Amino acid sequence: MEYKEVQKEDFTGKKVKVLDATYEEGNPETIGTGENLGWRKNFQTRDQMLKYLKAGERYWYSKDWYGSEKKR
Amino acid sequence: MPEEKKHYSDKASIEAYENAKKDNILTVYDRAEDLRPCPIGSVGDCCKHCGMGPCRIPAPKKEGEKRKAGLCGATAETIAARNFLRMIAAGSASHSDHGRSVAEIFLAAAKGEIPGYKIKDEQKLLALALDFGINIDGKDMKTIAIEVGEKSIAQFGQQHGELLYIKKAPEKRQEIWRKMGVVPRGIDREVVEIMHRTHMGVDQDYKSLMKQGTRAALADGWGGSMLATDLQDIMFGTPVPVYAEVNLGVLKKDQVNIVIHGHEPLLSEMIVVASQDPEIKKYAVAKGATGINIAGICCTANEILMRHGIPIAGNFLQQELAITTGAIDAMVVDVQCVMQALQNVASCFHTKLITTSHQAGITGATAIPFNEHDALNSAKAILKTGIDNFPNRKNVAIPDIKSPMIAGFSHETINYLLGGSFRASYRPLNDNIINGRIRGIAGVVGCNNARTTCDTNHLTLVKELIKNDVIVLTTGCSAIGCGKEGLLTPEAAMEFAGPGLREVCETVGIPPVLHMGACVDNSRILIAATAVVKEGGLGNDISDLPAAGAAPEWMSEKAIAIGQYFVASGVYTIFGGSAFPTTGSPEFTKYLFEDMEKIYGGKWDYTNDPVEMARKMIEHIDKKRKELGIDKAKGRVLFDMADRRELA
Repeated sequence: MEYKEVQKEDFTGKKVKVLDATYEEGNPETIGTGENLGWRKNFQTRDQMLKYLKAGERYWYSKDWYGSEKKR
Repeated sequence: MPEEKKHYSDKASIEAYENAKKDNILTVYDRAEDLRPCPIGSVGDCCKHCGMGPCRIPAPKKEGEKRKAGLCGATAETIAARNFLRMIAAGSASHSDHGRSVAEIFLAAAKGEIPGYKIKDEQKLLALALDFGINIDGKDMKTIAIEVGEKSIAQFGQQHGELLYIKKAPEKRQEIWRKMGVVPRGIDREVVEIMHRTHMGVDQDYKSLMKQGTRAALADGWGGSMLATDLQDIMFGTPVPVYAEVNLGVLKKDQVNIVIHGHEPLLSEMIVVASQDPEIKKYAVAKGATGINIAGICCTANEILMRHGIPIAGNFLQQELAITTGAIDAMVVDVQCVMQALQNVASCFHTKLITTSHQAGITGATAIPFNEHDALNSAKAILKTGIDNFPNRKNVAIPDIKSPMIAGFSHETINYLLGGSFRASYRPLNDNIINGRIRGIAGVVGCNNARTTCDTNHLTLVKELIKNDVIVLTTGCSAIGCGKEGLLTPEAAMEFAGPGLREVCETVGIPPVLHMGACVDNSRILIAATAVVKEGGLGNDISDLPAAGAAPEWMSEKAIAIGQYFVASGVYTIFGGSAFPTTGSPEFTKYLFEDMEKIYGGKWDYTNDPVEMARKMIEHIDKKRKELGIDKAKGRVLFDMADRRELA
């Protein structure tokens, strides 16, 4: 990763170089719709899909969780 | 203020409307000035269900004077209820017939009978198969898809039992429906039964009538609409966040503008695919254009926006204005919310109005019936008609105004965004409602109405809600209005949201107003609300949630069906617009506005003042917070060993 530096003032008013943000800049372009299905592309096999349904959509597809209808 | 300010609130529409006025082109607001709504019919006091009438029975002008009844003796309550039910029937039929078209194409696609359509979201197919009780073990996707398609189509003609989706609702809600006897047996049956019971001389008790109205509305929300949404997601992709632009400024001067208007995405999906075809692009260039620009109006626009990021030219009340830009080479329409006046406006310009549905004949328009067995070529033929028309353009005046937006918030995506791949969850939302950062949830949906300033009720209401830390879920023309105002961007949280909601939006990276799709996709809101209930901590039913719904500029019968299925699902639902269609009968209106809450936990309400609407919704949300015991911040309690022993 390429690090960027920016100039700022320290508490004495002296100009110093500090490390700039290291996060990846946001991209406003659509990167996953239609064919690509965005995040849903993460699940390729039936096993992965069913596992996700049991965890992520546990409200309907899992028996071992604790919500309003499955109190401890 | 200029006169136009009364009609449209966004600058692009004001500019386009001024241009239309200069050219003496009459549009919907001009007609609204010439034609006032019937004061008797608009409040439900006119019965025209038999040849002895129409019987108009307005409330007596003098106090104490006896109110007239219809020739058959039908009272104001019965007449208002029958009219209300027929609106529910029409609305449910519209959404559900849309669902049927999708189901038929889905099954044909699953069998491999129609090229161009396929299963894109296998995970959602598996989920729906499990919802429908289909055994998926050892079966390939094709077999599962065929079984899902067959079960889907069977839901329409089913005569007995319960619709399959009913089991997705919170368990407590299902019990209420069963106890009241309003669980839909089949989609078509409930609509037909309304038409029978509202025929002259059948059901004469408004409470009995409303039971059937509720059953038919549930057949829409938890039936036809939900099927449309789910099967479309499987065929075309479950929406994920997508960047796009909205308003008349998305039209392009140097490109062939094809505007898609209506509700069903079956053809529009193919038009999007066909517009990428190199041969079609080359054809456009040969006619002098630099390319093809697809844009949308109304809910077809929302469908292709959600899945492809196709820009939106406008909502319901902008359909004529879009043509007056002189830049639309073809407006392609299918079903619902297509004004008959479009052809008149199109004839003043070079625009070709193309009707594609065998259900929607339009006098004067070019008919290119959509053939689903040869969908891609149907789409290409439509595009070529638009391209051929490009050289016929004369004066073009496109307002240079558009706004950015993020759409694509399906229930699945919201769940994923809140938790990620390993533990997708509504827990962060529930926690933030419980801790008070988010005060509650509001669904703001529905039409525009030419009896109010376009979008103003929606925008005033939504801004009031998010200012008060209420997160807003939106669909349909309301969502498009919010997009034009810039409310569908994460940055909107900084400008418009209260401090708690802003903090949550910044953390998750979402807008304070989430675009969930077209009007059939209100079913996504039902599912999201159910997920919030099932996650726990906010009661056991949708009616326990600090949540409310609104259609601030309602216009179509579909909105009434939507309103009733939300009320029957336990949601306080408030409408705005020129009038509420039952207020001619105070007794029946009281039943809807007060008594229904005792049965379903949800009720109707009405005001055309958006600030008052927000106040009422927030008041309801606060009432629910109090009932849940989350209306006050709890102080931190330090437990010593003795306290801990007591807990054990």
